[in-house]
Amino acid sequence: MTVSTHARRTRVHVTGAASTAVRPVLESQRRPARVLAVFPAGVYLEVRTELEPSVIAVITGQATRLPNSVLLAGPLPHVTVGDDAAVGDRVIELGPLSLSVRRWWDPAPPLGRLDSARLARAAALLGAPPGAGPAGTGAPPGAGLAGNGAVALLAGSCAKGWLLGMVTAAEQLVGLGPGLTPSGDDVLAGLLVALRHLGLATGTEPAVRLADWLAATVTYDARTRTTPLSATLLHCAARGEASPEVIAVLRGAAGRQPLEPALRHLYRLGHTSGADLAQGIAIGVTSVLALSAAT
Amino acid sequence: MSLGQHGTSEGRREMSGLPQAVLVRRGAYHDSVTLMRVSRALSELPGVAAAMVAMATELNVSILREMGFTVPESDPGDLLIAVRAAGLDAAVEEAGRLLAASHRPSGEYAESAESGESGAQPPLTTRSAAARGPAGLVLVSTPGEYAFFEALDAVEAGLPVMIFSDGVTLAAERRLKELAEARGVLVMGPDCGTAVIGGAGLGFANVLTPGPVGVVAASGTGAQQVTCLLDWAGVGVSHVLGVGGRDLSAEVGGLSTRRALRLLDEDPATELIVLISKPPGAGAGSGAVAGAGSGAVAGAGSGAVAGGGAVAGGGAGAGGGAARSLAGEALSTPLVPALLGPGAPDLTQATEQVLRALGRPVPEWPCWPARRGPRAAPKRIRGLYAGGTLSAEAAAVAGQGEFTDFGDDAYTRGRAHPMIDPALRVEALARAGDRDVVLMDVVLGHGADLDPAAVLAPAVARTPATVVISLIGTEGDPQDLHRQAAAFHEAGAAVFTSNAQAARHARSLL
Amino acid sequence: MTSLLSAGLLSAGLLSAVPRVITVGAGVLDEALRAQAVPTTPVSWRPPLPGTAEALAAVLADPRRRAANELAVGRLTGARPYLVGLRRASEVLAAGTFLHAGPPITWERASGPMRGALIGAMLLEGLAADERAAGDALAAGAVALRPCHEHGAVGPMAGVVSPSMWLFEVRDEEHGGTAYCSLNEGLGKVLRYGAYGPEVLERLRWMDRVLGPALAAALERTGPIDLRALIAQALQMGDELHNRNRAATSLLLRELAPAVVEAAPGDAAAVLRFINGNDHFFLNVGMAAGKAATDAARDVPGSSLVVAMARNGTDFGVQVSGLGGRWFTGPAGVPDGLYLGSYGPADANPDIGDSTITETSGLGGFAMAAAPAIVRFVGGEVADAVRATRSMYEITLAEHPAYQIPGLGFRGTPVGIDVTLVARTGLLPVVNTGIAGRVAGTGQVGAGLVEPPVEAFTSALLALAEVSK
Repeated sequence: MTVSTHARRTRVHVTGAASTAVRPVLESQRRPARVLAVFPAGVYLEVRTELEPSVIAVITGQATRLPNSVLLAGPLPHVTVGDDAAVGDRVIELGPLSLSVRRWWDPAPPLGRLDSARLARAAALLGAPPGAGPAGTGAPPGAGLAGNGAVALLAGSCAKGWLLGMVTAAEQLVGLGPGLTPSGDDVLAGLLVALRHLGLATGTEPAVRLADWLAATVTYDARTRTTPLSATLLHCAARGEASPEVIAVLRGAAGRQPLEPALRHLYRLGHTSGADLAQGIAIGVTSVLALSAAT
Repeated sequence: MSLGQHGTSEGRREMSGLPQAVLVRRGAYHDSVTLMRVSRALSELPGVAAAMVAMATELNVSILREMGFTVPESDPGDLLIAVRAAGLDAAVEEAGRLLAASHRPSGEYAESAESGESGAQPPLTTRSAAARGPAGLVLVSTPGEYAFFEALDAVEAGLPVMIFSDGVTLAAERRLKELAEARGVLVMGPDCGTAVIGGAGLGFANVLTPGPVGVVAASGTGAQQVTCLLDWAGVGVSHVLGVGGRDLSAEVGGLSTRRALRLLDEDPATELIVLISKPPGAGAGSGAVAGAGSGAVAGAGSGAVAGGGAVAGGGAGAGGGAARSLAGEALSTPLVPALLGPGAPDLTQATEQVLRALGRPVPEWPCWPARRGPRAAPKRIRGLYAGGTLSAEAAAVAGQGEFTDFGDDAYTRGRAHPMIDPALRVEALARAGDRDVVLMDVVLGHGADLDPAAVLAPAVARTPATVVISLIGTEGDPQDLHRQAAAFHEAGAAVFTSNAQAARHARSLL
Repeated sequence: MTSLLSAGLLSAGLLSAVPRVITVGAGVLDEALRAQAVPTTPVSWRPPLPGTAEALAAVLADPRRRAANELAVGRLTGARPYLVGLRRASEVLAAGTFLHAGPPITWERASGPMRGALIGAMLLEGLAADERAAGDALAAGAVALRPCHEHGAVGPMAGVVSPSMWLFEVRDEEHGGTAYCSLNEGLGKVLRYGAYGPEVLERLRWMDRVLGPALAAALERTGPIDLRALIAQALQMGDELHNRNRAATSLLLRELAPAVVEAAPGDAAAVLRFINGNDHFFLNVGMAAGKAATDAARDVPGSSLVVAMARNGTDFGVQVSGLGGRWFTGPAGVPDGLYLGSYGPADANPDIGDSTITETSGLGGFAMAAAPAIVRFVGGEVADAVRATRSMYEITLAEHPAYQIPGLGFRGTPVGIDVTLVARTGLLPVVNTGIAGRVAGTGQVGAGLVEPPVEAFTSALLALAEVSK
């Protein structure tokens, strides 16, 4: 049986590192939260807040550092879905733990300057990775929405800078697909981050503007259209925030690190997430190149 | 930088008739801070009259004898456990438990290192640790005379290294840096107290937000002051690369400074670089290094920022060599020099220059004025500092007074660094008179005492002197900047987050 | 930009995947990093051996060291020893000279088993009529005593080689060196343990007369036997090649048997039965292989690699690549292990023999993890054997490319002892060894582990510091 009394538990003070994306939520007033999902290497918390990210991933060990995560220096507590938690006043209270942050990382590090010629070389690899589907689709192996019409529309409109087409496609894609992060969202997230960072790095103003529009479109009603985690990740992507695996591919595309191993790492994320994100990035690269050539 | 060799000060003389023992553990080694902690924990046990756990160095053996212990035959490589207590066996057992607990690397990373397999062998050298898998950096804090061996392993393995230890010979430093130059790796230090790499604080560093300012620092506490003020102003830091106090000397020729500048120049997150050096004389001849570029010359005093230019040699003082060696280092990132010295801006002014260069507003630096004025008309300033550069800066700004750097080698022999062990400054506060203005720094952040106010604030409250505190820390620091400030304020001190302002305030009291 | 810092550290740091930090020194700084969820590898550091700090600084700063050690250990692990034949010791030895194990020794300082073996050799060679006469002659210097190591040879235990004995000849096909070792007599009362009774001499005479010629003829038929391959195989079959040679002996026997039958049909059964009856028959062949490999690594200026560890029953001696033929010695210790029958530690002689050439070349105690069964002979648990091998990676320069340990995921054995690493870690080489009886003529009384004297290594280091650049 469960005892419903407020057992006075001594709190265990632990520390860790966090993405600066969660800083506003963490440093605002303390708010209640609830355990949304529990995995061996991570716990997702849904915070009752208007701020984003409203879902915070408390992770440990080798779990993917999603842009909304807080990395624990020790082991995760035993908690179950639905458990109460609290976030704010610089602390996350989860199970017996009282977690404070000793290190911050930037989930949207600037790429520096990049010339389009270099990006064009990367585009070849991104557009047709080893084992890719039918030529021209740009779908990496395992992509959840290979051959999907909305993705094709998204790619075509972005490359032309056609806002209406892009928005139409994006609206069809938000929340499309099964799982915690539907494929449609992952493609959009990859595209958002790529457009913003590569647009800034190459000085392609139209690409950044496109990113702004796309960000507004997908964040507008994300909370009602897709899973809470995916909605949070779309909000992060809208600001250019991503996991290190995604940033590594962008850095690879920018020639700051080897691209192929970074891509291989990205593919390994989740069920189809990695491939979907890669597909979004590929669309972003192609679009930035097309838009930069047009200006 | 030295955490201090262990020894304990409070030799309790009373020979209370309690049983006592000194155990020798042959060849068992623990570092000084660990031993200080174990000694303290042991001393606080009920029934323990005196306890000291220390390496059997000449100094420690003589302290133990003064404490009334009989020390068996031992050599400096042995560990001594000395206890005088009612429950002697239990106390000795506890000592063993504390030592064992301190030796185990805990946490997931320790386990994943060689996941608890039977016969797991911890690495005994940096060479061995480097061979075990990918690592990105080596942090050396062994006693100085041995730091060269470990740092050399790092450089030979192609790994950047931060040498926190001081007492490394000039020849060893040169050899390391030349080798590092050939292998293309960065050597931070020796005597590098502070570094921040991508947000991770190494040594004595503060919890900072990632941002556009990169710092190259020949002075650890100097870098802490600048980055903490930037943090307050809402400006983040990409990396703080320490180079050690001697790097800019003619003998070393700024090898690490140049490499660090190049690294930050190529780092896309770094939009502006601050180069911080110690005042002349504080380190081995750091000197004026002026930024110059596209016609704009940033004299140390002018406050101009060099954009897309080069670091050019120039200026007076012992730094001629270093300046020469930095000449021609072409940077595409704007550089703000913060070079302490006569006539040069202080660290706070340098920080303000950085903010202006970034087009950011300069905020009020937080301070908490004293709740009451001095009891008697103050006559002189006594500086009681933990940070060498902060001490020198304060002395220069105040223009008078008697300043003591308790972080200096002379004071860390036989005890831990004042950022960890407040005992010496507590004593100094007790000795101060009612005509004194005590000016002191309290440095927060990683590695430092987790609650410095716990011991220092009561000492501040007790002293008849007027106390002015320069509190170096960020809101994200584990010690809680505001709680520390409140505690010192409550104790009667005036508290400043700008060391220069604190010094100016101290002078104004005279 | 090629810097690892910019390529790896700064970039990865920006991406939150802060790289692992190796921390060495104050635990408080390691803790501070772990509190930030920065993965660390803490070094279990301790100060170097007393009195070595200055020498270490000089030797480590020697610009030649790194390349010299790479070259030296590369030659050591790159050697390809082949068993090419047998020779009479007289072909190798100067007249009137006996070889012995370990660093140089005089009759006066020789221990019981060393004296016993020398007496036995006098009797075998007909240079003395009886035990007393042999002792007198040796005391009078009738025969010159020289270390095996100085003549390209090694010998187990007393390691006494006299002119009529047969020696295995091993050639390093990679670097061209040649090394020799005597033939193994078996266990129990044998010359190498200082026994010289009639049955000992009788066996030696049979070896001179029958075994040596038969093996020499057989090897002519087989051609050179690849010892590197054979040793690598034996390691995977549970030998560590010092105290356990059962697999290697079997493998060698398999190679030789048909040729022995063809070459010496009359004696074949006796020869094969003799080899089969002695699990240690391969030890001497393996030692010669080790000698050939370590000799290839000699005389590299600036190198701190140990090229010989050897004991004469009184002293434990070490030679270092960068220091030519100089010996650095300390008193030989008494092994700690298991005793046969009613023998005990009081019956044990201090450590003796050149068989530490196996440890010097990355076998024996260094490869103990390959030989779990060995713990039955030397005492301890299987985990101890694994721990011993793992600890030796801390003081060695390389992992052997061919000699691998299945139980450690086919990791190469730790090979190439570096005196600077010994001084820095305070860790001494693990040596597996047989224990000789203290009294001449007793023979083997046990087997176990022995700790070399630390001063042999520290004095070598100090000498290296004197010649460092």
